[in-house]
Amino acid sequence: MRLGLVIDLDVCVGCHACAIACKEWNASGTTAPLTDYQPYGAKPSGVWFNRIRSYEVGEYPHNKTINFPMSCMHCEDADCVTVCPTGASYKRAEDGIVLVDQTKCMGCNYCSWACPYGARELDRESGTMKKCTLCIDRIYDTFMPVEERQPACVLTCPAHARMFGDMDDANSAVSVVIRERGGYQLMPELGYNPTNHYLPVRKATPISTENLGRMGFKDRLKGIVNKVVKR
Amino acid sequence: MRENVRFWCANLKLIPLFNMNAIVKIENHDNQEIKFTTCYMCACRCGIKVTLEENKVRFIQGNRNHPTNQGVLCAKGSAGIMKQYSAAKLRKPLMRKPGAERGTGEFVEIEWDQALDILTERLSEIRSTNPSKLAFFTGRDQMQALTGLWAQQFGTPNWAAHGGFCSVNMAAAGLYSIGFSFWEFGAPDWDYAKYFIMWGVAEDHSSNPIKIGLEKLKRHGGKFVSVNPVRTGYSAIADEWIPIKPGMDGLLALSVVHVLLSRELFDWEFLIRYTNSAWLVVDTPGQKGHGLFLRDEQGNPLVWDMEKSGFVNALDKDITPALFGDYVAPDGRPVRTVMTLTAERYLDERYAPENVAQECGVSAETIERMALEMAHVAFKETVELDIQWTDSWGRQHDKVIGRPVAMYAMRGIAAHSNGFHACRAVHLIQIMLGALDGPGNFRARAPYPKPIPPHQLPENNIDIINAPNTPLSKTPLGFPTRPEDLVIDKQGNPLRIDKAYSWEIPIASHGLMHMVITNATNHDPYPIDTLLLFMSNMAWNSTMNTKNVQDMLREKDPAKPDQHKIPFLVVVDAFHSEMVNFADLVLPDTTYLERHDTISLLDRPISEPDAAADAIRYPLLKLDRDVRPWQEVMVELAGRLKFPAFTNADGTRKFKDYPDFIVNYERAPGIGFLAGWRGKNGEKSLKGEPNPKQWEKYIENESFFAHHWPDSQKYNRFANKEYLDIAADVGFVGKSEPITMQIYSEPLQKFRLAGQGLYDGPQPNNPVDRERLAKYFDPLPMWYKPLEQERVDGEEYPFFALTQRPMLMYHSWDSQNVWLRQILAQNYMYMNRGQATRMGLKDFDWIWVESHNGKIRCQMRTMEGTQENTVWTWNAIGKQGGAWGLKPEASEAKSGFLLNHLISELLPAKKGERRITNSDPVTGQAAWFDLRVKITKAAEGEVGSWPEFPAIKPLPWDDGERPDVLRYSTRTDDKQP
Amino acid sequence: MHPAFSVIFFTVSSGAGFGLFALLVLADFLGLGGGLSIDQKLTAGGLALFLVAAGLSSSVFHLANPKNAWRAFSRYRTSWLSREGVFAVMFYPFAIAYLGLTWLDMSQLTMLKVVVGVMAAALSWVTIFSTGMIYACLKTIRQWNSPLVPANYLALGHFLGGLLLLLIANNGSVEIGGYVAISIGLSVMAAMLKAIYYFWINKPGATSTINTATGFTRGTVRLLDTGHTHGTFLTEEFGFQIARQYAVMLKVFVMVVGFVVPVLMLATGQTTQADIYVAIALASIGIVAERWLFFAEARHVVNLYHGAQRT
Repeated sequence: MRLGLVIDLDVCVGCHACAIACKEWNASGTTAPLTDYQPYGAKPSGVWFNRIRSYEVGEYPHNKTINFPMSCMHCEDADCVTVCPTGASYKRAEDGIVLVDQTKCMGCNYCSWACPYGARELDRESGTMKKCTLCIDRIYDTFMPVEERQPACVLTCPAHARMFGDMDDANSAVSVVIRERGGYQLMPELGYNPTNHYLPVRKATPISTENLGRMGFKDRLKGIVNKVVKR
Repeated sequence: MRENVRFWCANLKLIPLFNMNAIVKIENHDNQEIKFTTCYMCACRCGIKVTLEENKVRFIQGNRNHPTNQGVLCAKGSAGIMKQYSAAKLRKPLMRKPGAERGTGEFVEIEWDQALDILTERLSEIRSTNPSKLAFFTGRDQMQALTGLWAQQFGTPNWAAHGGFCSVNMAAAGLYSIGFSFWEFGAPDWDYAKYFIMWGVAEDHSSNPIKIGLEKLKRHGGKFVSVNPVRTGYSAIADEWIPIKPGMDGLLALSVVHVLLSRELFDWEFLIRYTNSAWLVVDTPGQKGHGLFLRDEQGNPLVWDMEKSGFVNALDKDITPALFGDYVAPDGRPVRTVMTLTAERYLDERYAPENVAQECGVSAETIERMALEMAHVAFKETVELDIQWTDSWGRQHDKVIGRPVAMYAMRGIAAHSNGFHACRAVHLIQIMLGALDGPGNFRARAPYPKPIPPHQLPENNIDIINAPNTPLSKTPLGFPTRPEDLVIDKQGNPLRIDKAYSWEIPIASHGLMHMVITNATNHDPYPIDTLLLFMSNMAWNSTMNTKNVQDMLREKDPAKPDQHKIPFLVVVDAFHSEMVNFADLVLPDTTYLERHDTISLLDRPISEPDAAADAIRYPLLKLDRDVRPWQEVMVELAGRLKFPAFTNADGTRKFKDYPDFIVNYERAPGIGFLAGWRGKNGEKSLKGEPNPKQWEKYIENESFFAHHWPDSQKYNRFANKEYLDIAADVGFVGKSEPITMQIYSEPLQKFRLAGQGLYDGPQPNNPVDRERLAKYFDPLPMWYKPLEQERVDGEEYPFFALTQRPMLMYHSWDSQNVWLRQILAQNYMYMNRGQATRMGLKDFDWIWVESHNGKIRCQMRTMEGTQENTVWTWNAIGKQGGAWGLKPEASEAKSGFLLNHLISELLPAKKGERRITNSDPVTGQAAWFDLRVKITKAAEGEVGSWPEFPAIKPLPWDDGERPDVLRYSTRTDDKQP
Repeated sequence: MHPAFSVIFFTVSSGAGFGLFALLVLADFLGLGGGLSIDQKLTAGGLALFLVAAGLSSSVFHLANPKNAWRAFSRYRTSWLSREGVFAVMFYPFAIAYLGLTWLDMSQLTMLKVVVGVMAAALSWVTIFSTGMIYACLKTIRQWNSPLVPANYLALGHFLGGLLLLLIANNGSVEIGGYVAISIGLSVMAAMLKAIYYFWINKPGATSTINTATGFTRGTVRLLDTGHTHGTFLTEEFGFQIARQYAVMLKVFVMVVGFVVPVLMLATGQTTQADIYVAIALASIGIVAERWLFFAEARHVVNLYHGAQRT
């Protein structure tokens, strides 16, 4: 299995629902808590597993705004794991999920240096690195209803811009949508082979404006012959 | 431990091997409870599933079975945890410290008994002398059926919610045109729509449904067009973005109408059957009765029947009305069909795309293409569903035809002084295309559609209004149809403190909350005694002209130097807002997870086009402080003040508490606040006698009720017999009769005649009122320059300035939310990048923004996706230091800002004219977005937002200390380091 | 990259220590300048061990959770950081044995001393190399992802080590010409390698851009919103940016103060002990500046997501 996410950039409205649902779940999840700094103060910040950025492509008035959620890509060739000196970072053989063992991490930040996607954030209070677990404590929780055994971000996304599934299974919904919509990986040139894929913006089909109505209604209005319509 | 073993066993096959160092432990559910309730982080009112652990919130997620959000949940909803644990929560009733000045934030804690005694005494005195001296205005509440009933029972006309400064233009335009409306009384049909236009929407009440729907639309290959000066949020994913100049939407819409008309692209059948387009209008300019419908002796409107070659009752069955034509009435008066007037009006070259392109900032080619694309989809990509239905005339149909163009519009249209007509113009396009309430259209949500306008008039009997200890005979708000319905005295002076339903604002169907403090301070039209505000921040982001309004709240009455202009100010809120700081008495409310509540069909329900629905909240968490739900307090006060509807014949109290009231109160026999599980045993839906176990049934059923309409009742409900029969039975409408859409609005024409001195009935004396009525009460949709812009030099103030709320905070009481504020803790003024470059401005420059009403200093950013003549910012991010539980140095207070200071609640003064509200002249909708500004770079060293405000003092229970680190977690088993 | 003082001190100090030790072993075997006295060798070796120890303990301060630092030796098969730790620790027994044997000065044990000396020197080199590879192996940072980085670390460590050895050698009893020559040679080599590095990082080359990072390859991509108002771990750790003209000034400083002036001072032919102290001080300041710049100029690709057009 190779579990991961597919993000549909065509429909993401940038509402941050995924980021908050993730924060909410993981605040009490396996690597809980996710510390917040200066929560009421001048410069609030904290540990998050999902960050949503927005970009503008092209120039006014032909610009397109694209909202861009990012979390751990659970890379096949995860350098964050390779470089970890303590073995705290590991990639699960059975499903490809990359995790950080909080009991082993020494907080050297080195894995975050190796990660191109900004997926890892240090919790200064615990002194350990934290990251997206793909809600491993949801997806394998057999006490949860089957349809809820999904990452919190996927479950909550109001625009259904997030999909979760097995990329190794060519017939899974995520594999199919990647094929059909031309799903792509970020910074492929680095060779990390990220599991998460992004679906590009769709091209709308042009709508015909030919052969519509008859011009010159203004002239026809005088002395118009009404259509007979029964009320 | 047990859980872990179970887990291992259960997953043995699935996951043969955990890593040696596996740390994954599934959480222990033993101490968890799952409950269903309704979210209240905004007005969307989604169903939520809440996991609790030892009276703490573990997780809030969407309820999969709920009709509104279908399992998803937005950022606000999930951030509910941090609202529940907000540092700003009020803890106990407060009274302004004796001797302390109002607004200094000096309070003493008092007990509830004392608070209620003080209030009862004061209200009792008002009610027994002059009930109008109580003004009761509510903010983001969702219980206007209760607050309205309370005000009515008190006997004051001075009640409204915040709709007047929110979106009354949408509600009123819809309800005077199509019988339902944008805002909450309808929704696009995402399943079948192929073309969707969104006008001026940043976020909305139906926040999650729109997001769910947009994805569905795009997945089906539909086209999404956004008309909006700013490309963020929903507009980001639009297939086409039309960066219009603010306030020009109506003109654009009418130009689309021009294109459609000029090619005869309209739905003859729809127009004739379901609209008043064939009705005949008397055409006698300058005479009384001009512009009114030609009617028979019974008052029925007439049409010209082509087969009979004569005038017939327009409401009759099996007639053949002429859509176009000029005729002579039997009494000799010339008459013309509505459609003839409509065609002549909009075929005028004034509305040709090339003649509006410059004003709209949208090219003629784009306007024409928009119109033609809509027409193509409507007429050439028609949806046909094999659904049998019966029309109001008893004819059976075996198909439902959909013209799959859907629209949605909101504050970008509403918040202009021409918004009522702009919204009517958008409805006109829908009507021309026959694209309403069919498959793929904008469709009604129960209890809508209603007669046009709804048969509900505001109380205007001056004797009843002035009578002590007497309830009003009707609710304070309604839908006037003629000058006689205005709420004015014999001299024509307003009877309401906000001047709603006066000659200045005749169709103010949601009141004018934004005028209350100004009018009350000016004793115009009269002084009041007590202002009671629920959940509304009228001392900060919910008011125009914030800085001056704060001064008004402090202003003493020169005639009585120990008394304020507004003598007594009661604030009800759950949180320490800027408004609380000005209160004389503070009644602390609960959070939405701590109280009973109803989202009622009598009010603003959660219905979807396919289902009538309502919902409840009930307490999930035990209270940890001395606060009470405002609902309970209202029922308590109603009992203490002996409101007739709350009192038995023997003078005893009718309702024990709020839940008891909800179960047993009936507006009409069998119709109460909750529609589900009625009848003695809960066997009846929509209508039935009270069920003592109704709350329990709701709780068992995940806290909502949905009545799903069968297919035959889903479409064309304005003329769907089966639907209307039921609607009449359960009280959604008075009678089962077709609802005829009003392209031409006779009520508007009546007001216009009054302005022209041609009305048989009350007419205004003041020339200003006469002029406004004559000009703005056009019975057909019109466009005019926003009022402020008529009085402000466009050269001097070259930019349109507006605000929007970010999705993660829209309509939410919540910038103090610890999680949400990490995402957005400072707002900037956004400007088009090219424009900024031309002006020598760049990202993060501090700038001065100046309007006719004042100036502010703020920090700017540039972006591509802003119309070049527009600047905008996120609203309500700026806070007064010390409010909302934040430290005084919070960036919301130091660098965040409000645009509100620049917006005046009054139009710029004009010689020989009294000051007029800065609102839509028809509905009183606050014209937030009419603002024009000029922008200059701040001098070197001028940084930080301005004006500056002193930090608000902490409340008595608060030492002002806040932790530097927050580690919220409910996890109790094997905590990680 | 955020230039953390503890890491700057660590790499400079331990690099100098390892360089010094390796050069000491070489000088000892070659009998350079007539051979160092036992005291001198012990002093040099002790200093080297102290510098390495100081550097390593400083690196522990950089950790957010130092109680798990011992685990850092476990992943030597994949992690250069782990390898650095392992090699550094392995170096100690050989280095101490070598110094012990030097102190004993028993001819019977010369062979053993040669073996442990070679091992200590080799481990010094491998450790410095590993330090360099910690940075050089990161594909995320273009300015680091080059063999020039370990080469630089080796050259700079030996340059400082050489100066220190010269200082110790210069007590009148040893002919210091060779030591001076080695210092100058190392200095020229280190300066040249650094110059090549500076030249190389200024060449943009094929690299990740905001377009490859986002996948939006058609048209200009600009950041509209980062999704957080104030800093995050990512902006603190990776957001550091140095102005171009400031970097150029600092590079000139590194070259002049770190290399040119010390070399000129040594090249006079009449170098006093005080001169050497000054040269070492200047060179150290220069190398600290070099190291600060090494971090400051490194641009992590995550910055592309925060609006940088390229790294």
